Amino acid sequence: MILAIAVLVALFLIAPILIIIPMSFSTAVSFQFPPPGYSLGYYRAYFASHDWLDPTVNSFIIATASMIVTMLLVVPASFGYVRYRFRGKALFNLLMMSPLIVPHVVAALAYYGYLSSIKLNGTLAGVVLAHGMLAVPVAFLVVCATLKGFDRNLERAAMSAGAGPLRTFFYVTLPVLRPGMMVGALFAFLASFNEAVVAIFISGRDAATLPKKMYESIRLESDPIIAVVSSLLISAVLFGVLLSVVLRRKPANVP
Amino acid sequence: MTRGGKNVLSRRRVLKTGGAMAAGAAMGPLLLTERTIAQTRTIYVNTWGGSWTAAEEAAFFKPFTDATGIRVRTVAPVSYAKLKAQVQSGTYEWDVTGINQSEWLRAEREGFVEPIDWTIVQKDKLFPNAVFANGIAYCALGTNLAYRSDKFPQGGPKSWADFWDVKKFPGTRSMYNNAPRTLIAAALADGVPIDKVYPLDVERAFKKLDQIKPHIKVWWTQGNQSQQLIRDGETDMIVMWNARASELKEQGHPVELVWNGGMVSTTMWGVAKGAPNRKLAWEFIQFAVQPKPQAEFCNRLFYGPTNPKAFEFVKPEVAKQMPTYEPNAKQMVVTDPDWEAANAAQLQERFTQWLAS
Amino acid sequence: MAGVVAAPAGQAGLAAAPARGLPADSTPWLLLAPATLALVILFLLPIGYVLLLSVTDPAVSIAHYRRIFSVPLYTRVLFNTFTTALTVTGVCLLLGYPVAYVMARRSDWVSTALLICVAVCFWTGFIVRTYAWLVILGNKGPVVAVYQAFGFGAPPRLLFTTFSSILGMVHILLPYMVLALYSVMKKIDPNLLRASASLGARPAASFRAVYLPLTLPGVVNGSILVFTICLGFFITPILLGTPKDMMISQLINQQIEELLAWGFASAVAVVLLVATSIVLAVYNRFAGLDRLWG
Repeated sequence: MILAIAVLVALFLIAPILIIIPMSFSTAVSFQFPPPGYSLGYYRAYFASHDWLDPTVNSFIIATASMIVTMLLVVPASFGYVRYRFRGKALFNLLMMSPLIVPHVVAALAYYGYLSSIKLNGTLAGVVLAHGMLAVPVAFLVVCATLKGFDRNLERAAMSAGAGPLRTFFYVTLPVLRPGMMVGALFAFLASFNEAVVAIFISGRDAATLPKKMYESIRLESDPIIAVVSSLLISAVLFGVLLSVVLRRKPANVP
Repeated sequence: MTRGGKNVLSRRRVLKTGGAMAAGAAMGPLLLTERTIAQTRTIYVNTWGGSWTAAEEAAFFKPFTDATGIRVRTVAPVSYAKLKAQVQSGTYEWDVTGINQSEWLRAEREGFVEPIDWTIVQKDKLFPNAVFANGIAYCALGTNLAYRSDKFPQGGPKSWADFWDVKKFPGTRSMYNNAPRTLIAAALADGVPIDKVYPLDVERAFKKLDQIKPHIKVWWTQGNQSQQLIRDGETDMIVMWNARASELKEQGHPVELVWNGGMVSTTMWGVAKGAPNRKLAWEFIQFAVQPKPQAEFCNRLFYGPTNPKAFEFVKPEVAKQMPTYEPNAKQMVVTDPDWEAANAAQLQERFTQWLAS
Repeated sequence: MAGVVAAPAGQAGLAAAPARGLPADSTPWLLLAPATLALVILFLLPIGYVLLLSVTDPAVSIAHYRRIFSVPLYTRVLFNTFTTALTVTGVCLLLGYPVAYVMARRSDWVSTALLICVAVCFWTGFIVRTYAWLVILGNKGPVVAVYQAFGFGAPPRLLFTTFSSILGMVHILLPYMVLALYSVMKKIDPNLLRASASLGARPAASFRAVYLPLTLPGVVNGSILVFTICLGFFITPILLGTPKDMMISQLINQQIEELLAWGFASAVAVVLLVATSIVLAVYNRFAGLDRLWG
């Protein structure tokens, strides 16, 4: 009985997403299911359209750059936070978590005004900085958790076996922590890549991201290309999740 | 000695962080300059999206680029608020817009409009009455009642009074999320004659609107959205722009357009104050208002050309489907940009609140 | 013997300092400084700007706040946001609990399959999923097609209703709830239930007396998470809902997009921020914020 309910709810979660994929091969001009016919027409249109490819490229650039910004801030901060006692630790933690506390629409409004005043509104740099901040909490949580789980005795063992601190760091500390860091970086990347609200407000014309373009296209055009973009994104997620299952890791590390 | 090594490490990390940040900061301006160079021969046109943009592409953008080498890129949707925001913030998304006359007049009164550059625009190449509030007339556009003919086999609604009559004409309804158009429709439904609409009795119109509000499924904001709603049968009756309805009918959808009680307004070409490519923008507008491009646009979307000479190139059967065609025009309200521009701010605020309440 | 990174910054005189850094040591500050500076300048400062705008634009006054709490329309928006968030949280809890339960209690392929469904849903962006509902509930979508195939006649109005908006939000937030519950349930020792059964408790009774109380932290975490995200929900209600069910973030968007009323929009944003903070502060008082996202 409970199993049946669980399966039904899981279907409720997954079915609406999977239904998009056949839609993307549709010949219909608007949202229609089942499609009246099948073709690759909208895929061709997507790969020929600057209006869609530019935001796609922007999204990758912004997500990569903001991931770097986030990790450059978070990795040292996590070491400092986990391995040292200092005054104001709770306050520091609150600061690191603040982007998760503030609703995105409030942050969006804030960035719109702020970035306009420093002439970064509608630029890649502006969106990178904003997304870089917004992804801090998720990456911080993941990296801190990894660090807390790290057995310091490994380092001590290496040192007592005669390894210098540098060697210890690069041959012991880093390899053990790398998977955790990679997960943190991946979360930061995805946080930016999927982020819509702030991007809608601040990415403007030249730095428009894929979620912004999709949002506008739903509101303005009911453009069937959106089914293509959605299908590509869903396939990527499906691939990633299945891969992580196959690799026998936890499929979703809950942030 | 462990201490010394560690120290180097942490310093190096700090240096690395700082270096990457500095590199990031240096890249910013570089990207900007590259964009600026690429922009020098490009103008950005603010457009309504969908078939409007497609018609503009064929009638104006492509021939203009072919003739001048200046590239045209589009940004949707058209919005007075966006015009104001970009002039105020100095971050421009577009140079040229094709916007409703009353909104353009409002923008001109509030100082968001670039004056016509008479060194580029040639007066003798313009038609009479082309210039208004530092913009140039683009086309005449009707906002009309349209319905699904398959949903009303006994005959559909013929007036706003019928649109309001939910007993005689049951079915889902959608309206345009636009204060003046909606209020005028309400006034007409309440029995105001088409030549006595102005000055609009706002209280009376809102009272009439209260009656229809529970029956409105969608308040649409974009032309394409209105087309999707009626094409997919999401709605049976709708307020929409005349050419958008005609386009669906031409494509074979059972959509019928009602001229009676339609509202005709002029769309204007204009340039945002201080827009980065304003010189090229005026060049483009000068090109777009010539008879041939105008006719080309109106042959695709059946709005009325403002340039009288354009009618020479408009197909006769198409001309009959335009708001400029006399039998259609005499059933329509001619909107008053002066009154609308003066009242727009408070009307919109009240309308927005009314919608949400 | 000192840890590599934790070793105090290398003045020779401090050689005797213990491995755990003390305030005299400058390393933690060097490590914490970039993040602190960045967040203060690039996050707190912009938020402060909103606070400032809310009482200075167009003039210095608290009129915007007075307006929010005195105009019936706006108080209704606040009220509607809270009831919607409560409804969504409740539905998510009802639907999410069985899924998390099955996922945690079994360790076969069923559990994996459920986890895949939840994870795929979780990682698919809000917009993609909202778009999916536009298609499914639309007049040419599968729901209406099935409805008409059974000859029920004219389809009910699905899209652009309170129902469609809540459905969309539930779909988007349900994975958060499931994952929050799952992470708690997974840690519950299955032997506890067995023990309670061996002491003679019926399954339902032992579930109520033993399992349910143990999962309460997950219930609270998931609910707080879903509730606070829902308070600030923006895209889904705009695309799927009706203007009559306006929520706080739609009001913010409308004030900006249509009326360019920065001051008022900022004041509404501050109200939203304060409401969210209060919920989280209460939670923090009893559980500690760290656990929420752990």
